Amino acid sequence: MPETETLTGARKLIDDLVGDRAAEWDRAGLIPDDVLRTLATRGLLCVGVPETFGGPGASSAANGEFTAYVGSRCSSLRSVMTSQGMAAWTIQRLGSPQQHAEYLPKLAGGKLAAVAFSEPEAGSDLSAMTTTIEPDGDTVTVRGQKVWTTAAHYADMIVVVGRYGSGAAAVVVPASAPGVTVSRVPQPSGCRAAGHADVRLDDVRLPASAVLGGGQPLMLLVTTALAYGRISVAWGCVGILRACLDAARGHARSRQQFGKPLAGHQLVGRHLANLLTAEQIATRVCEHASRCWDDGSPEMVVATVLAKQVSAVHAAQGAAAAVQVLGSAAAHEGHVVERAYRDAKLMELIEGSTEICQLILADHAVSMPGR
Amino acid sequence: MSMDQAVTAEGIEQAITEFVSGRVKAEVPADEDLFASGLVSSMFAMELVVHLEQAFSVQILGDDLKRDNFRTVQAMTALVARLRGVEQPADA
Repeated sequence: MPETETLTGARKLIDDLVGDRAAEWDRAGLIPDDVLRTLATRGLLCVGVPETFGGPGASSAANGEFTAYVGSRCSSLRSVMTSQGMAAWTIQRLGSPQQHAEYLPKLAGGKLAAVAFSEPEAGSDLSAMTTTIEPDGDTVTVRGQKVWTTAAHYADMIVVVGRYGSGAAAVVVPASAPGVTVSRVPQPSGCRAAGHADVRLDDVRLPASAVLGGGQPLMLLVTTALAYGRISVAWGCVGILRACLDAARGHARSRQQFGKPLAGHQLVGRHLANLLTAEQIATRVCEHASRCWDDGSPEMVVATVLAKQVSAVHAAQGAAAAVQVLGSAAAHEGHVVERAYRDAKLMELIEGSTEICQLILADHAVSMPGR
Repeated sequence: MSMDQAVTAEGIEQAITEFVSGRVKAEVPADEDLFASGLVSSMFAMELVVHLEQAFSVQILGDDLKRDNFRTVQAMTALVARLRGVEQPADA
């Protein structure tokens, strides 16, 4: 299967590019430009883009496993992938055939992208968004303030979600357009090299052809765009759990205390059992959600929220357990488990916080058909 | 569900009504405004999009995602019929 071959080669490339440098990138708060460009040029930051547009055309399942692989090595790089993939997915979903042809080959061929949702007064409540995309003949004017836009620091184009008439639209804003100011979030607590930034849009004038869709209900648009971000974050959390499990079991086998390996102490063994359980639960729930995507099943909507919720919560707990097992061995900045601890917690905040996901799932529990 | 026998505007409307009624556990008249009645959340709206795509082998992209196309069972029927090139009665 060509798709599998592509991504197998891609894993080797990830090994070569990331190697043991993730800690250094985390401390510097920056992924080197050549690493991002090398991956972007091969379409590896958005492997779901169809082959017709020059992308690898991976299924959601293959995309997910690759995302977990990258996530097990560097959550910052995985976050950049999530943003790029979400930009591509949003363009695929909302864009016209002309816009697909215009933007998707760029995203699969070297350009970097981010998607801007959050605002100072619109975090969990995205319906409070005030950014406007105002049509004016064959141009539009974009005004507003976005915050915490992942990967915006690296992005060549930023997909901005805003109000459009009585509904909403997304608009593809070149980062270099006059009126766009991108300022980095100083020292984020997790995924520190993911290029989180605030994006100011002061009367940014663009051709009307940059507007994706237009007139959709805001929350349908947000739910649609976020669906990709959620499944991607969920798989990224599987990667975090795999990295933590590997580090914890390796340490528990080799480190001796009280005359035997740590793994021989039952209280440590319980942490290992919990980590393995968490990794398996997260993997299965993500596999299920990806199968729904690949089958085009309407269940994908809820299965994706469930996958994000389950994986992020387990990753945060699993990373904390791994910190406990490794003790002082991991208690320094940049260690894989120490990064996982910070990164996993951030995953409980973004793409719908744990509480927002719970509200969606509670709503589903109330309304779902009986069986 | 096989759509081969049901690719008439009437068949489409019947299949959509079944799906929506099943999900909201209530009778849904074809002209009922699903948004005004509070029957449709943004999550369910996206489920509807994916369901229509899968059940009728169509792609609903860009401008077709606008709210008016999902407001009623009738509107969804007209959307699917248009995307499939089904002949529609003049009043649809």
